[in-house]
Amino acid sequence: MMSRYSRRLLRSRVWLTFSVGAAAFGLLWLVLILSTLVWNGLAGLSFSVFTEMTPPPGGAGGLLNPIIGSLIITALAVAIGTPVGILAGTYMAEYGRYDRITYAIRFINDILLSAPSIIVGLFVYEILVVPMGHFSGFAGAVALAVIVIPVVVRTTEDMLLLVPNQMREAASALGAPQWFVISRVAYRAAQAGIITGVLLAVARISGETAPLLFTALNNQFWSINLNTPMPSLPVVIFQFALSPYEDWQRLAWTGALLITAAVLGLSVLARTLASKGGER
Amino acid sequence: MNSIAVRAAADNIPNTREKLSIRALSFFYGEAKALNGIDLQLHERQVSALIGPSGCGKSTLLRVLNRMYALYPNQRAEGEVWLDGENILRPEQDLNFLRAKVGMVFQKPTPFPMSIYENIAFGLRLYEKLSRAEMGERVERALTRAALWEEAKDRLNASALGLSGGQQQRLCIARTIAVKPEVILLDEPTSALDPISTAKVEDLIDELKRDFTIVVVTHNMQQAARVADRTAFLYLGNLIEEGPTSMMFNNPKDRRTLDYITGRFG
Amino acid sequence: MAELTMGAVQFAERATTLKRFIATDSFFRHLTRAAAISVLAILFGVFVSLALGAWPAFLTFGFDFLTAQSWNPVTEKFGALAPVYGTLVTSLIAMLIAVPVGIGIAIFLTELCPRLLRQSIGIAIELLAGIPSIIYGIWGLFVFAPFLQQHVQPALIDLFGGVPLLNQLFAGPPYGIGIFTAGLILAIMVIPFVSSISRDVFETTPAVLKESAYALGATKWEVIWSVVLPHGRAGVLGGVMLGLGRALGETMAVTFVIGNAHRISVSILAPGTTISATIANEFTEAVGDLYTASLIALGFILFVITFIVLALARYMLSRFELRTR
Repeated sequence: MMSRYSRRLLRSRVWLTFSVGAAAFGLLWLVLILSTLVWNGLAGLSFSVFTEMTPPPGGAGGLLNPIIGSLIITALAVAIGTPVGILAGTYMAEYGRYDRITYAIRFINDILLSAPSIIVGLFVYEILVVPMGHFSGFAGAVALAVIVIPVVVRTTEDMLLLVPNQMREAASALGAPQWFVISRVAYRAAQAGIITGVLLAVARISGETAPLLFTALNNQFWSINLNTPMPSLPVVIFQFALSPYEDWQRLAWTGALLITAAVLGLSVLARTLASKGGER
Repeated sequence: MNSIAVRAAADNIPNTREKLSIRALSFFYGEAKALNGIDLQLHERQVSALIGPSGCGKSTLLRVLNRMYALYPNQRAEGEVWLDGENILRPEQDLNFLRAKVGMVFQKPTPFPMSIYENIAFGLRLYEKLSRAEMGERVERALTRAALWEEAKDRLNASALGLSGGQQQRLCIARTIAVKPEVILLDEPTSALDPISTAKVEDLIDELKRDFTIVVVTHNMQQAARVADRTAFLYLGNLIEEGPTSMMFNNPKDRRTLDYITGRFG
Repeated sequence: MAELTMGAVQFAERATTLKRFIATDSFFRHLTRAAAISVLAILFGVFVSLALGAWPAFLTFGFDFLTAQSWNPVTEKFGALAPVYGTLVTSLIAMLIAVPVGIGIAIFLTELCPRLLRQSIGIAIELLAGIPSIIYGIWGLFVFAPFLQQHVQPALIDLFGGVPLLNQLFAGPPYGIGIFTAGLILAIMVIPFVSSISRDVFETTPAVLKESAYALGATKWEVIWSVVLPHGRAGVLGGVMLGLGRALGETMAVTFVIGNAHRISVSILAPGTTISATIANEFTEAVGDLYTASLIALGFILFVITFIVLALARYMLSRFELRTR
């Protein structure tokens, strides 16, 4: 009996050590990637990154126009996608909670949530770029909006479903019509969660490259006209990193650092907001 | 079981007309029948209690009176409920209009995630355009009537979620009476509260009945005995017996009522 | 006391207000419904636009499109075999690594990790999921691939040199970039997906279930193996499929390190291509309608594959949720 038990104990220890090793393995990559990112990105970081435009190969310059381009496209994508997402999530949790079509929408939405972003790029290419005849920042924003929508739909619906029904009943009992109950009570109760969802969506699209590749394309020069190709940080990084020029590669690392800082910062912000909202 | 304290005022029930007249009411959750042909009159400016064991249908019956069940697709009612000369179960009945007349307080206190002031103002804003001064006055009046003004007057702008359970429930009552209903429905209003808050709410009910028709669902018989003018006993979806509270508790006509009152089941 | 009940004038005012409510309610209801339907419209639109765009290619090549390896813009002969092969193989490599590691991390976080560290390590692992894929791409190209080329791949080639089948699988030269490298990077990207869903699944194991196993004298691992894992089987599987869906569609990380060679080699150390890498690299320079249509056709194939995988994932996860409700 003794040896059997000690065999079982040994097996347990071995497997559990493996799982500790797995965690260490995962953390190792995180540390490696972030440290090389910081190391290489900081090397090229200087004030001129934020003040000068992208240079021709071999020249000195910065990332001003892609940064501005990214900010504009992201802002527009959020402006388009967030209202659609919140309204859709509201239907699924409120008016349409018991509708059969809501099941279908939830299913499809979850698929869209994880769909390859390059497919989204192709889709927007077909419906916007081809009819318009040219690439545009607007098309890029629409592509990113298509990625924003499922994220916001999911979090809005989840957060609204968490609001206790009794609270809705209490408002209905006072005679409030359904839209009043939703906007004044349900939204109010779920607002921390909904805002978190929007922040997570922003974090997600800040790093997306593929959808922009054939919608907003790229632009070496200053461009804030949404009807023309616009530069964006991820696409510029893509172009510079794959080039054979060293200063372009250095700028690519710096750009990568900037994007990662923005994405991780937004994620942390969203998380703190979520936990603060949960405490109440 | 003569130790149950019964209101001596049993003989002083005001003789008022019927406010709500329930006729042949049946209720269904999907295919399951929860109420079976209920006939019941609820009188103006009296407190009527609905008692019975769990699952007997008393909350279901209460929720028909303001058609709260309409929020859920699988639930339906058959029969008639007459309020002030109109059958409120008819399809054309405006639900918001109905709920403006018939208010409801729930078992679990449900303050909205806003300030105390805003909680009361919520209902007021639905129907009336009031100036800042008028709104403040109405809020104060509602809170006073609900015996919460003294405790709340210095923290009107603080979140309602910071109040204690008993205070929250009184806030819900204040919220309900602020919109000037005619009937107030209370669904086990004190079952989530401590004894002191319970006593305060019961005193409140006693006072409010001077102006409102009140229907209380309670699983606590002693509460019914303390608070209600008339009591109705439901069992398995049927109305077994109904009458003045003193008669129900001291001299019930039906065997089942007696068994429930004396604690043989329930 | 009459002030507590309504007067006739207020009664009439209330009636008009209430009528207005109904109109606004109807508007809001239709607005939100339209927004919800638009979600369906997007999916439908993706399917239709890809199918239409790909149509010329399917018409020209027929089923041979799926089986032909050649990819020649000059002669306009396009075949999807190499990209599809690359997509499937890189994803397979990724899942072979990510599934055990991801589940291992989830077990660590739910059963072994001291409570104080749980939050921070959990967040750290999820940061891996938050890093944009282009970062993985440039890290892979400039740091990981050279490392593999100089240290790991020569070792692998020597290690398996004598073994009959494996020496073909791991044949040189050590390019650094290639299918293997892409698979490894995908693995790192997918690990947090598998681990975070598995973790949620394991945390729902009822404490009483575990306690009854411990009460019988089971070791910690035996409890995990016989209670926690079986209980969460459907959920973990759903998480794995979700990770697979991610791996199949991943573009930027793969594009940087796959080598972009339209061919199928036996050795996984050789360069290759995936569907998304091909599209990303060639779309903007594609000249000619057939070329563009072939690229869109690749996209269509990817869409169908990921749709099926993600639908299965959703199905598994909802089965799991229903059981634990």
